[in-house]
Amino acid sequence: MSIALRDKLMLMVAVLLAAVYLFPLYWMYVTALKTGSAMFASPPSFWPSDPQWSIYGSVWESRNVGRYLWNSFVIASGAVSLIVILGTGCAYVLARYRNAWVDVGLFLILMLQVLPASLMITPIFVGFSQLGLLDYPRVAVILAIAAKSMPFFVVLVRAAFMSVPMELEEAALVDGNSRFGAFFHIVLPLARNGILVSAILIFMQAFGEFVYSKSMIQAIEYQPASVGLNSFMGPNTNEWNNIMAYAAMYVTPILAIFVLLQRRIVSGLTSGALK
Amino acid sequence: MGIRKLALVGALAVASMSAFYVSARAEDVKITVWSLDRDIQPAPNLIKDFNNLKTGITVEYRQIQFDDVVSEAMRAYSTGQAPDIIAVDNPEHALFSSRGAFLDLTDMISQSSVVKPANYYPGPLKSVMWKDRYFGIPKATNTIALYYNKDMFKAKGLDPAKPPQTWAELVDTARKLTDPAKNVYGITFSAKANEEGTFQFLPWAQMGGGGYDKINTPGAVKALQTWKTIIDEKLASRDTLTRSQWDSTGTFNSGNAAMAISGPWELDRMVKEAKFDWGVALLPLPEADAKRSSAMGDFNWAIFANSKHPKEAFKVLEYFVSQDSRMFKDFGQLPARSDLAIPPTGQPLKDAALKVFQEQLKFAQPRGPHPAWPKISKAIQDAIQAALSGQMSAQEALDQADKKIKAVLG
Amino acid sequence: MRRLLLSIRDGRGFDIGLVSVPLIFLFAMAGLPLIYNIVMSFQEVDMFSLGTFARPFVGFKNYITLFSQPETWPILGNTAIFVVASIAGQFTIGFALALFFWTGFPGSSWLRGLFLVSWVMPGLVVGAIWNWILSGDFGVLNFLLKESGLVAANIFWRSDPNFSLWAVVIANIWLGISFNMILLSVGLSAIPQDLYEAAELDGANVVQRFYTITLPMMRSSIGALVALGLIFTLQQFDLFAAITAGGPNNSSNVAQYWAWDLSFRQYDFAQGATISVIMIVFVMFASVVYVRSTRHEVRG
Repeated sequence: MSIALRDKLMLMVAVLLAAVYLFPLYWMYVTALKTGSAMFASPPSFWPSDPQWSIYGSVWESRNVGRYLWNSFVIASGAVSLIVILGTGCAYVLARYRNAWVDVGLFLILMLQVLPASLMITPIFVGFSQLGLLDYPRVAVILAIAAKSMPFFVVLVRAAFMSVPMELEEAALVDGNSRFGAFFHIVLPLARNGILVSAILIFMQAFGEFVYSKSMIQAIEYQPASVGLNSFMGPNTNEWNNIMAYAAMYVTPILAIFVLLQRRIVSGLTSGALK
Repeated sequence: MGIRKLALVGALAVASMSAFYVSARAEDVKITVWSLDRDIQPAPNLIKDFNNLKTGITVEYRQIQFDDVVSEAMRAYSTGQAPDIIAVDNPEHALFSSRGAFLDLTDMISQSSVVKPANYYPGPLKSVMWKDRYFGIPKATNTIALYYNKDMFKAKGLDPAKPPQTWAELVDTARKLTDPAKNVYGITFSAKANEEGTFQFLPWAQMGGGGYDKINTPGAVKALQTWKTIIDEKLASRDTLTRSQWDSTGTFNSGNAAMAISGPWELDRMVKEAKFDWGVALLPLPEADAKRSSAMGDFNWAIFANSKHPKEAFKVLEYFVSQDSRMFKDFGQLPARSDLAIPPTGQPLKDAALKVFQEQLKFAQPRGPHPAWPKISKAIQDAIQAALSGQMSAQEALDQADKKIKAVLG
Repeated sequence: MRRLLLSIRDGRGFDIGLVSVPLIFLFAMAGLPLIYNIVMSFQEVDMFSLGTFARPFVGFKNYITLFSQPETWPILGNTAIFVVASIAGQFTIGFALALFFWTGFPGSSWLRGLFLVSWVMPGLVVGAIWNWILSGDFGVLNFLLKESGLVAANIFWRSDPNFSLWAVVIANIWLGISFNMILLSVGLSAIPQDLYEAAELDGANVVQRFYTITLPMMRSSIGALVALGLIFTLQQFDLFAAITAGGPNNSSNVAQYWAWDLSFRQYDFAQGATISVIMIVFVMFASVVYVRSTRHEVRG
């Protein structure tokens, strides 16, 4: 088999796999365009005969999607910043040494994220209310998300630091750099890609956070898009086409950012910057 | 008392409030209200109107999800962040009143010129009571009945003026209406493993001479057996076990089910979406002469015991009550009151349906009241699901549920 | 004081400072709630005493009650099936895809990027979409299966006790593919190419190369993945809530959903906390696996 033929074949298989994998996403966009009764039609149609394009406009208007998305953005940005600031150094130290203390540290970090948010929320809520943090609901949610996602970030970024050769740092120290200087001028720039990519992955997760925001942010002006979506999913309000339209508007901006950045993400992850 | 008189009383109440507060305008009292009403439902709209009256009380509103009402409420209550007023689902009212979390309103009600217990249906009223005291005011009420597609009845040679009267007739009619080739099930309802399943099943058990405290009577077993027949013979979709009432009725509206058991909250959507002639009938009985019964749904208003402004909060509730006559016309909800005549809407299908629901409402019984209602309800849901999924017989399932419930009741 | 400052700039203090601040933060934000849950599992709790620690202690009573319930073991069994099947599915498909894209062909890196999509989707949305796809009468999955002749009648994914758990597993595998695929790709790309060239010269075939080079070199990646995968599957909650709600009759109920259901549907917080303690024990095991796997790491 010639190389060119093999490449073509592989590409076809890859496209096919991607099509299967992306089907749920496609179904979301299509369902949004269907009318109320077309959704229940059997057999289901793969392209609505009468696409309701106006639904996007009307849901955007009536649900104030713009404001919700902005809140999601603010919350996710805050959480990611906090995680990067706190988690990077932690990951660096955990990568630099290899001893029992590091084992304990890694163990603790993983252990601390065992319970689903739905079970953590009550104690966090009680604690925050005693500290008065609930008066600043978005700050409270940012703190809670940061705690939840930090372990994952540390595990990924630790791997990124592992790939920075120790000799480089040692050489810098010999040249008279302080540990502080070596970290900021030598090690950090080398692990930059891995950190950036991990931060993007965390951002996407934080953008969809739901449980904490739902309980802690009571004022509708500050609620993120996930809570906005949930607010019309209750009993007697399951308007599936509207839900799907909302969901489409919710994920499309992240998808767009993601498609733009994905080469960088994938190469950043696979070029050995992160292993 | 006629509507006009009531409106007058309401207006007077509001007027007296505003007169009283004109002098105290300098600092408005802030009252927070939580309920699950969305923008097109009563609470946010009534609050908007109330705030426009400028009575010296400003009401702030927060919408919470059905599933979160109780957990949010008690989390907030135990940390001192509770709102002044909340709307809770009626079976969960006793949970709060029995623990002193809700304010005892008995004295305020006895002095009120707007809120009069005699005006309410007995079922909803019973749900706000605990040890003969009033811990809330019914917000609205609803019940379930049988919707049926008249066009499909005609197509199958059935008389659309004679909907099924008994369980046997119901099953028989469902058999005739089921048409797999056209993707039509005979009937749809909800046996979901949450409060909705209990809500739909309990009336059947009650008609069969049972109740939550005696769930395994022969009549109740026969009820569950009937449900099982419907599922086993594919007269209803198996997804009945996981589908909510709203989603189930959606399949009725789209013509994929010929009958549906659901409540008046469906009316507005059905008028809009159903492209066929439909009607509503009372829930079928075990035998033609059996005692009727029905479910009683919807929420109650209550004031939290640690509210700093209970008097003002009660004034807000009085305002809500004074607007009860708007409930059906503006929001499609039924006030829990027997003294209000609901004016026709001009939409014949809706008006005819309303009459049936009002008749059915006379037989509506509250779930409980019991402070451990969620556990009782869970035992019933488990029994329904175990029987319908074929893991147990109806008798075994209900025997097990009865044992669990007896343990809770003590 | 000067010494301390110096140490923070340049010495042990630098490391300790970098580690301790996040650890203290994590302890306050995640450790304390965990302890709260553990304490609660030994107490008698009701909804109005949530705001305080001062509640009557009852020893192991909650644990005894829990294990005397008939549904406990089936639900723990479901949890095990859910975790094992999800991780096996995610890992196998993820690994296969990673190997496939690793061979490299025009467009491979671009297409691989698309497989990150499920990572981007909020759990709530994924649950809603799959709920719709898996629906018995109108679900597109049943339609496709019937059209392709694989099944004769509709499968009621959500409502048939034989399938309900698998319905959630399918959705969860879809959700986890991206994460597995990308981390495994990263591991693969770190294997030095010359190892393969040498093995090829020695006459090792594809399968032999896979077992003697690829797998051993991937040990640390796999360890991390399985540990993180276990945590992610144990945290999976949205899908259960959206697709089956644990039903019918607990046939798709798992520990994390049950704990929530007991706490927030039946207001039995002590029982909910008791289940979460059992889950903590599970995850402790996973953490040990992960930490052990890091021993085989090679520093670049």
